[in-house]
Amino acid sequence: MSALFEEFDDIADLAEGLDDADPGTRIMAVIDLADSADPAAIPYLARAIADADAGVRKQAAQALTDFDGPETAAALVSALTDSDPAVIAAAATSLTELKDPAAGDAILPHLGDTDETKLSACLAGIKELRRPEAMAPATAALAHAAPGVRIQAVGVIGWLQDEAALPALQGAAADADVQVRRTAIAALGFSKSQAARTALIAALSDPEWIVREAAAETLAKSGDASCIAALRNALEDEYWQVRLKAVRSLGKLGAAEAALQIAPMMDIPVPNLRKECAAVLGELAVVETVPFLEKYADDTDPDVRKNVRWALGRIAA
Amino acid sequence: MPLAQTATTVPVTVNDDLCIADKGCTVCVDVCPLDVLRIAESEDGSKTAYMKYDECWYCMPCEADCPTGAVTVNLPYLLK
Repeated sequence: MSALFEEFDDIADLAEGLDDADPGTRIMAVIDLADSADPAAIPYLARAIADADAGVRKQAAQALTDFDGPETAAALVSALTDSDPAVIAAAATSLTELKDPAAGDAILPHLGDTDETKLSACLAGIKELRRPEAMAPATAALAHAAPGVRIQAVGVIGWLQDEAALPALQGAAADADVQVRRTAIAALGFSKSQAARTALIAALSDPEWIVREAAAETLAKSGDASCIAALRNALEDEYWQVRLKAVRSLGKLGAAEAALQIAPMMDIPVPNLRKECAAVLGELAVVETVPFLEKYADDTDPDVRKNVRWALGRIAA
Repeated sequence: MPLAQTATTVPVTVNDDLCIADKGCTVCVDVCPLDVLRIAESEDGSKTAYMKYDECWYCMPCEADCPTGAVTVNLPYLLK
């Protein structure tokens, strides 16, 4: 069909190709059904996900990305035990696109599964659906041997943003796997509690810089000035990425007392860090930092120059 | 227009045995942002995708979205 705006036939007519003996024709039928964007196509695509040909099954799993609801979720979950890894990968990706909370009905019964791939995909799928019933199985999944499952479990708990889950997140923040710890630290950002702040401040001393970076970034979300001292210590971190997030967080917290500690960091030969420092110095608007900013008014990096100009203008105002 | 006298290769190649342009598939043509792919129809009526214009910028959707894995984008060494 060559028209710019295609007119689709009846869904049942489009689905006739699914019965063709040739896999190529069946793939085209799947593509046409997906392009129709008609929810009436879902049962046909759910049928195609059990096709004899792996290419058709993969295409059906990809096509279901454009649909939502329990029937779509059930079809995708069924594909997670496919014999072809490409079909499983496509189904797992499509599961993460679900937005209708009702789709969780088809995923929830599988959150007790022990298979790493299936459980990981189901947790990733239910995360953004924010189903409270997922809290218990996600908490249980934190004890799974596979880090990939634990990361997704932390994601589910983090999205639910329930203070009751704080102990579980605090436990995950001390996980043996660095990515689990990093995810848990980022997930703690929703809580304004002292317990969460304590865990975040402790994470600023984590042996892995990516965890320290996440902690420095997340601390600003608390909006609590009691974090300022810990963030000022983080300005001395050996990794500039951690220092950058600490600078940004201090800016968000309006920590004017840190301005003269941040200003000399303009001399560090990392343009991204200078850019952030200039922006935060403008935000904090402390007059004593002007000489540090003026020194970089003609910086080699255009973003630094732009931020310096903005910061000087803001301080002068 | 002078024709090239040396053997050349194009970045995007299509496996004719796998291509299902015959069935009406135009996925690679549709997703190409530079519009360099076309469907060729041979004398016997069979169809297959091919690279008509050598302007590829190696963005890869033609390879990634091909439902049968028929399309291959040959990345230059320095882009790998």
